[in-house]
Amino acid sequence: MHLGGEMLLEVENLKVQFKTDDGLVRAVDGVSFAVAPGETLGIVGESGSGKSVTNLAVMGLVPQPPGRVVDGKARFHGDDLLRMGRRQLAAIRGHRIAMIFQDPMTSLNPFLTVAQQMTEVTRLHLRHSHREALRHAIEMLDRVGIPSPDHRVFDYPHQLSGGMRQRVMIAMALACKPEVLIADEPTTALDVTIQAQILELMKKLQQEEGTAVILITHDLGVIAGTCRRVVVMYAGRFVEEAPCEELFRRPQHPYTLGLLQSIPRLDEAAGTALTPIEGQPPDLIHLPPGCAFRPRCRFAVEQCARRRPPLEGEAGHRKACFVDVV
Amino acid sequence: MIGFILKRLAWMAITLWVVFTASFFLMRAVPGGPLDQERALAPEIEQNLKQRYHLDEPIYRQYLRELGNVARLDLGYSFRLADFRVGEIIAQGFPISASLGIVALGFALSLGLVAGIVSAVRRQTLIDFSLMLLATVGIALPNFVIAGIMIILFVFLVPVFPAAGWGTLRHLILPGFCLGAPFAAYVARLTRTGMLDVLSQDYIRTAYAKGLATRTVILRHALKGAMLPVVSFLGPAIAGILTGSLVVEQIFAIPGLGAHFIQAATGRDYTLAMGLVLIYTTLLYTMNMLVDISYTYLDPRVKLE
Ligand SMILES: Nc1ncnc2c1ncn2[C@@H]1O[C@H](COP(=O)(O)OP(=O)(O)OP(=O)(O)O)[C@@H](O)[C@H]1O
Ligand SMILES: [Mg+2]
Repeated sequence: MHLGGEMLLEVENLKVQFKTDDGLVRAVDGVSFAVAPGETLGIVGESGSGKSVTNLAVMGLVPQPPGRVVDGKARFHGDDLLRMGRRQLAAIRGHRIAMIFQDPMTSLNPFLTVAQQMTEVTRLHLRHSHREALRHAIEMLDRVGIPSPDHRVFDYPHQLSGGMRQRVMIAMALACKPEVLIADEPTTALDVTIQAQILELMKKLQQEEGTAVILITHDLGVIAGTCRRVVVMYAGRFVEEAPCEELFRRPQHPYTLGLLQSIPRLDEAAGTALTPIEGQPPDLIHLPPGCAFRPRCRFAVEQCARRRPPLEGEAGHRKACFVDVV
Repeated sequence: MIGFILKRLAWMAITLWVVFTASFFLMRAVPGGPLDQERALAPEIEQNLKQRYHLDEPIYRQYLRELGNVARLDLGYSFRLADFRVGEIIAQGFPISASLGIVALGFALSLGLVAGIVSAVRRQTLIDFSLMLLATVGIALPNFVIAGIMIILFVFLVPVFPAAGWGTLRHLILPGFCLGAPFAAYVARLTRTGMLDVLSQDYIRTAYAKGLATRTVILRHALKGAMLPVVSFLGPAIAGILTGSLVVEQIFAIPGLGAHFIQAATGRDYTLAMGLVLIYTTLLYTMNMLVDISYTYLDPRVKLE
């Protein structure tokens, strides 16, 4: 891992647990990653693997109770976000680290206009006057491609389509020019053509502003066009980390391999059967000792049941697996 | 909006007519009449009285006559309080009951909202448990028990309020509190539930992610949504609270409408009972209309019909 002065956000050994009636859910179990200014890091993994919780924890947004951040550090410019006072953290949220959520239909407040929701961010963090804030909001809406933004800004969310709402979310998140943008499945709830537009828009804005982006998705297709580095998450842990093309060309973890084989490819002959990953997603309350993926893994060896494979490897491509699958 | 109100008013007229008709016949269907007294009246006196109140006419004539009068807003003379018109009795008692009701409502809203919000924000803590226990007690305890406790505390132990009577604002505080307490308890529970519901919404997480302070998130982003169930409860509650309470008014010797409701019913005072029923219906209907209108102000997604 390239920890160093040039990293903007460094997360180290993060552990988050939820107390539920059925038992303790180890939603995030010791993940570490770092993001450099201007880069895009992809986090992929199936539903429930802990992608959202990882990033909510960084933002101090894990609902507590039932959740608890039990260990780890999240250094932003060297200061640990996880041990920061409430005020200090609030000054960073929405200002220097912003977040876009999965479902634009429910993430905007239905009781407030777009203007009210957008201006409150810049009035708070940039000390804009009401008029400045409104002008800025309209400008941002224009930049994210909302037609006649000077009218639309006074709409309520229910008057906008899903794609428009996600554009509003993006405009709102970028309003203060954050250094880090966490996008949690920003396109999952949208249909395919809108998805492409939104991803394109995020890429464009990121390049213009030099924002670092953490892009969370369960869709490898989304990762392919947008990220430089990718981490693959399984059962609360990172199982592989690699530069994007590397990951697609030479996946090293059986789970990544499975993910790649379960998506359709253009360069394969039509009719080639897709191979979904067999078996059940892991039960985070009763994880097996050793590798969490072992019950579903066709490469498993005897060692996998006894010891948890550490995440290691050379030159930016690391995997948590004992077997060489290449 | 105007169209909505006109439509509602038309419905209100129909409802009032139905209520009038049902009350008219139900009152006359129960045994006993307004002229029954312990001592039988002399036949000729009874005959005179019957004539005066048109009780000797066939029932359909009585019905049409009264309907006509009511339609002209003339509620007639009370049977029991024979010197008074029903309109006068209501005009005298209603402002008193209503002022008491407004004070009670003030208590109900201020205490209920604050307790509900605090409980929801501090959910599963000692504060939450204590407030909700208090709310349960407030709902379970009858008015006269609360009144007793308040009188012991604030009349005898710490004499800051008069024990009973009517005239100044100070006379209103204790009875207002006693009348408002159960409503405060309901409002607290509804606010807490509504607030918890809203606080678990995605858009609240968005608000925190924007760096807003907890106070801003609660007051600006959550309160409106959390108020919706409270507002629907308030419609009927206000109608009830403004028309007076027998128990509280009796205990504190307040000359409001409360006692009339009971006496009119037990005394078969047809005209007074009818007047009170119609007033209550009108109030209830108006309040529900106001609730619907205020919904559109609270929630932009709601349209009037
Ligand atoms: N509030 C909560 N209470 C209990 N468990 C929770 C809570 N939030 C998350 N979890 C658990 O944490 C685990 C990780 O959830 P998370 O939302 O991070 O998954 P994800 O990878 O983002 O999945 P998805 O692709 O569905 O968004 C899940 O197993 C979930 O059950
Ligand atoms: Mg998620």
